[in-house]
Amino acid sequence: MNLITFMTFAILVITILTLVFGVLAYFLYKIRESKKKPQQSEGSYEEILLGRNSELLFFKKEISYDSLVLNEVL
Amino acid sequence: MPFFIIFLLLTLTYLAFSNLTDLYIFYRMIDNGFILFSVILIMVFTGIVILRYLALMFFSIFKVAIKTEIQMKQKVFHTHLRVSIIVPAYNEEVVIGRSIISLLEQTYPNMEILVVDDGSKDGTYRNAKRYEGHKVKVITKPNGGKSRAINTGIAHASGDLVMVVDADSRLNHDAVGLMVQYFENQNIAAVAGSVYVVNQVNSITRLQALEYIEGLNMVRNGQSFLKLVNIIPGPIGMFRVEALQKVGLYDHDTFAEDCDVTLKLLAEGYSVDFESDAIAYTEAPEHLLDLIKQRYRWTRGILQAIRKHRGFLFHTKGRPSMTLVLWYMLFESIVWPFMDVFATIFLLYITLITGVNSLLFFWWSLFTVLDLAGALYCVLITREKLSLVFYAILYRLYFIGIINLAKIFATIEEWFGIGMTWGKLDRKGRI
Repeated sequence: MNLITFMTFAILVITILTLVFGVLAYFLYKIRESKKKPQQSEGSYEEILLGRNSELLFFKKEISYDSLVLNEVL
Repeated sequence: MPFFIIFLLLTLTYLAFSNLTDLYIFYRMIDNGFILFSVILIMVFTGIVILRYLALMFFSIFKVAIKTEIQMKQKVFHTHLRVSIIVPAYNEEVVIGRSIISLLEQTYPNMEILVVDDGSKDGTYRNAKRYEGHKVKVITKPNGGKSRAINTGIAHASGDLVMVVDADSRLNHDAVGLMVQYFENQNIAAVAGSVYVVNQVNSITRLQALEYIEGLNMVRNGQSFLKLVNIIPGPIGMFRVEALQKVGLYDHDTFAEDCDVTLKLLAEGYSVDFESDAIAYTEAPEHLLDLIKQRYRWTRGILQAIRKHRGFLFHTKGRPSMTLVLWYMLFESIVWPFMDVFATIFLLYITLITGVNSLLFFWWSLFTVLDLAGALYCVLITREKLSLVFYAILYRLYFIGIINLAKIFATIEEWFGIGMTWGKLDRKGRI
């Protein structure tokens, strides 16, 4: 096996692997992004405020039974 | 290193001559229409790529020579133009502090810093507020995208020039001063700076470091010889406020607002220059999927910007320079990736079917030697490490293939109008 044949074989294998890997990586990226989307749909405080024409927002603190018990114990 | 490249070229020439039999066998096979068409296509493409490469390198050398001469003659350092540095920031709490510090350390005296918090959900606004003072002003607004944040900054700016700096970037101390000098020429609407990768922590970021100095900075240096730089990079760019107002500031309809605004300025007949010594150190994606995410957005954004200005593609009488820029961008964004992947698959096919193996080797070697020569030139004129030159081999071997595939998929998705989001990258805080 001369130098060119050896080099070509190496380039051939790496190129095929790169093409396969590149396609796989792209679809992995698409899968990862599609999983992230639901988190991105949440609006920030300012966005929600803007959507309500600057009408003030009031928050109610919800205390679960478990945390209440925990506080009492502490 | 130059001797190494010359040695490589001589070795390749010797090998090519010693393998003429292979090439003759391949030549005898060209009676098939598809093979003939493919060979002509690949030869034309290769010719254009080599011409483009050599033209940009020579333009870049001329630009460096002209710049050196101007710097030797220049005796006055202009400071009369006021600069407003705008830092649009969305969820940048990790890096915003260091970014502001690098701006406060600028040697240019006549400037202000405006941090525009684009409705961040983290502590960006709080962290930026710590630096508020006579030079730094922090503005917050509901989240609306980078272009709206920049326009908000421009509305609050008091300068004749605005400099847009990404929140994940750190500038060298004289960057602002160096860029301001170009605006003494009234036709200059914008000046781009150099972008270097700061987090060279693995092979992906080192390959990007090479790509930034060779594929982006050298290209911009070459384009600036004609004063036709087509993209002002997000991490560092300076604009004349009057020119920005004339073209209607930043638009919100593309994912590459920096490319779009540059094309708008060129379409208006303004010149856009480049200052290689004004440097922004920025974080590059450290993981492959993040890199694909970034390139996906760049490609689709650039295609959207080209589509917006497509009227200039065939309208050479109105603005020939703009036509040239758009065709150049089309070649880089669409033709190059498609042809590169097509040529690779075609040569793989030829090698596997016929056993003529030297074609694949010489195709790869040709581009690798070009990359090595380009990398060496860029490393010598920049302050990057010499070791990056060797990454040119890996760059051609697998990096560019993966990037081109991502560009092709992004182009197909853009063609079919598939929805997309901004795709913000997580910062590591390495600036």
